[in-house]
Amino acid sequence: MTLMALFHESADTAEVIDELHNLGIADNKIVVITGLPYPEGALGRHREWLTLPYIVLAGAAAGLGIGLFLAVITPHLYRLDVGGHPPVGFPPAAVIIFIFTMMATIVSTFLGVLWEMNFPRFGPAPYHKLVTDGHLAVILDIPTRLEGQVRQMLETHHAHHVGEPERMTL
Amino acid sequence: MATDANLSVENDRRWVLVVDLDRCTGCQACVVACHAENNIPVVGEKQAAYGRWMHWIIIQRYWEGEYPNVKARFMPVMCQQCTEAPCEPVCPVFATYHNAEGLNAQIYNRCIGTRFCGSACPYKVRTYNWFRPEFPEPLTEQLNPDVTVRTRGIMEKCTFCIQRIRRAEIDSQAEGRILADGEIQPACVQTCPTSALVFGDLGDPDSRASQLARSHRSFRLLPELGTDPGVIYLKGGETNV
Amino acid sequence: MSEPEDMEQEIRQTTPYDERLLLAQRTDSEINQAVLQPMLQTGKGFWVLVTGLSLIVAWGVYAWSYLIYWGIGVTGKNRPVYWTLFITTFVFWVGISHAGTMISAVLRLLKADWRRPITRGAEAMTAFALMMAGLYPLIHLGRVWKFYWMVPYPNNRLMWPNFQSPLMWDMVAIFTYLIGSSLYLYLALIPDMAMARDHTGSWRFKLYRVLALGWRGTEGEWHKLHRALGIFSVAIIPIFLSVHSIVSWDFAVTIQPRWHSTIFAPYFVIGAVYSGLSALASILVVVRRGMRLQEFLRAEHFDSLGKLVMVAGMAWVYFWFAGFIVEWYGNEPVVRELIREEVSGHLAPFFYLQMSANLIPIALLVFKRVRTTPALLLATTLLVNVGMFTERALIVIGSLQRNDLPFNWGNYRPTWVEISIVAMTFAGFALLYTLFSRIIPFVPVWEIKEGRLRYTMRRIGRLLVPTAAEID
Repeated sequence: MTLMALFHESADTAEVIDELHNLGIADNKIVVITGLPYPEGALGRHREWLTLPYIVLAGAAAGLGIGLFLAVITPHLYRLDVGGHPPVGFPPAAVIIFIFTMMATIVSTFLGVLWEMNFPRFGPAPYHKLVTDGHLAVILDIPTRLEGQVRQMLETHHAHHVGEPERMTL
Repeated sequence: MATDANLSVENDRRWVLVVDLDRCTGCQACVVACHAENNIPVVGEKQAAYGRWMHWIIIQRYWEGEYPNVKARFMPVMCQQCTEAPCEPVCPVFATYHNAEGLNAQIYNRCIGTRFCGSACPYKVRTYNWFRPEFPEPLTEQLNPDVTVRTRGIMEKCTFCIQRIRRAEIDSQAEGRILADGEIQPACVQTCPTSALVFGDLGDPDSRASQLARSHRSFRLLPELGTDPGVIYLKGGETNV
Repeated sequence: MSEPEDMEQEIRQTTPYDERLLLAQRTDSEINQAVLQPMLQTGKGFWVLVTGLSLIVAWGVYAWSYLIYWGIGVTGKNRPVYWTLFITTFVFWVGISHAGTMISAVLRLLKADWRRPITRGAEAMTAFALMMAGLYPLIHLGRVWKFYWMVPYPNNRLMWPNFQSPLMWDMVAIFTYLIGSSLYLYLALIPDMAMARDHTGSWRFKLYRVLALGWRGTEGEWHKLHRALGIFSVAIIPIFLSVHSIVSWDFAVTIQPRWHSTIFAPYFVIGAVYSGLSALASILVVVRRGMRLQEFLRAEHFDSLGKLVMVAGMAWVYFWFAGFIVEWYGNEPVVRELIREEVSGHLAPFFYLQMSANLIPIALLVFKRVRTTPALLLATTLLVNVGMFTERALIVIGSLQRNDLPFNWGNYRPTWVEISIVAMTFAGFALLYTLFSRIIPFVPVWEIKEGRLRYTMRRIGRLLVPTAAEID
């Protein structure tokens, strides 16, 4: 079953998560929702491994390729000589290649982070509005037999609004 | 297509214009002829005074001295058809490029009017269509069908009457003969009453233009800029530069 | 009395940290409301402003259509002054856009905490300035309906644009910077869109719901957002340096006297930082007043921003002098004539306006009183931008008036068309910004809340000082 609990303090939340780990509930069954980013490790959970850097690198490489094509290949596709310079010169080519690499890096960072967060996602999801007012929400997926224990532990750590999470359309 | 010695694109032609300043009287017949041949509009006194005249060839004139010892020094200046043209690399759409016969070609249909080439040209020989040109009746009857009539927003300049070059080449090819030196005459060369303007092929060492270019009087305009122009001036007498 | 109460008493009696601690004592919900309320209340002044600006923009659009219909001749351009106010204002707007990246990217990487309330306003300024700048390559075209020939795509003409031309570099670079700064603005905005979604209704709720993309605030989401913002901050810095360098190369790659200077790239970049930061300070003073954000935009922010403007100004003087001394000393004829025109000829009034409007603010900003008094800071920074606009005009227009052949020298007089279109972009920028301030939370709430985590009060000797924790 799924439970959601709200907390005022980050210290309480961290202790609760430790207790949950002790009860054998894995990290991927716990979701912590906050209105502001807490430093890494503050709430006792391990860091997620991201594919974002690889997406960015791939994007940068694609940009490099596009820049190379436009700057180095297109002058030869329809050859028009201009006075004083060869069709492909190093400085103009460098500028174009650089800009397209950076453009692709930026765009792939943005699209990559959206993809990795699975955005946009507008369906119903467990959430509580008080999160943006400074509360920390912990959403648990626990086996039913542990419900009593978990509820008690939550209350000991000053949780409020404990219950089934409301699936709000986001 | 087999190689044809008549077509400029297939041999070592380099067209040049030699301007003999000793012979030039400053009569401006070349300016008028150029207007007539190339469908250049007349912009009117007010616009011309503001620096918007459209002459592709213009007699640049400087006054020296005080009255009564005033001297006019003048020289005809048109597009110098530079080999290392500063105006060509800066056009974003390739509306100006260097063709195989050494001409700085201007493609009117391609120009989108950024005016970068005009700012880059050190001789400031490029002119711009600030408004839509008007040819009041019956001047429309006089327009040259071989030359595009440009609309507003387009940059233009002397082309060494490339339409005459092409016509001569095509005619000679059709007639199966070789082009003779002096057979191609741009409008200004044809009109000049003192034959101060000579047009020819610098790639042909025997042409009249080549011989004049080797004269001890020859100089080019703004040589220190390294543009390697295709217009060669011959130093003139007392009244000229 | 217990320790915390003691400290609270002392805190209340202490200046200058009062303001910061007032914010520390606010709950998250109060901060949310403090930021949202001014957005929801639009007084008469707002509508008067929007109407006025819209009228100026509409008039400018009319002037632009007049320009397209009749031709570039309705401006004051002529031969040899082929580029005038349009290109000047283009360079000016690109310059303004640099402050946003300075503040959000560079200060984020340097972990300067005072950037937190400012980043969104700065990034918005960048995005809107670039939108205005991006209009000018279209406006100044003689045949604007053929502008798409500059876009590189396979076409039936089998022609590609000329990538050797600095105008192509311009187009690509400005497009990249516009995309980059808009995406940066949006990415950092997503959590605040979620906050706004949770606290508003009707059309606002619908809008914020779409823009929030379903953000909840899970740890994974925050972690990914942080990573992405980190990559963005690093990636956008080379872009911002290159954009104004490329714009400067529009001029420097020609052999026009006074344009052909190798110092143009860093000179323009530093000039952009100077004028952009000043514009940012001006805007922040106005917005702070208009939206009652006194709690978020405090004296310490303007103090730091003012110092940054001063340093940028001093760097600008250095680069200006480095360029000027070699031109003056080289004594080339046309350059000599251009310098003479500037220093004692027809351009002298503009030159002295430029120098005084750029130098006096540097001297004024030395004083903390000037930096922390909103009205004085506003006046000083507006003066900087007057000076920087004049500087751009002198470079673009002044240099073109003289060249190698004296027969080709000319003069320039602006016409109503140019002035209307320039006014249109200024009004357009202000209009976009005003509408932005009512639709998007101006202060990055989540970043401020993140910043609050770091501060506690600590006693050092007799002083009670706020100390910042070393967290990422």
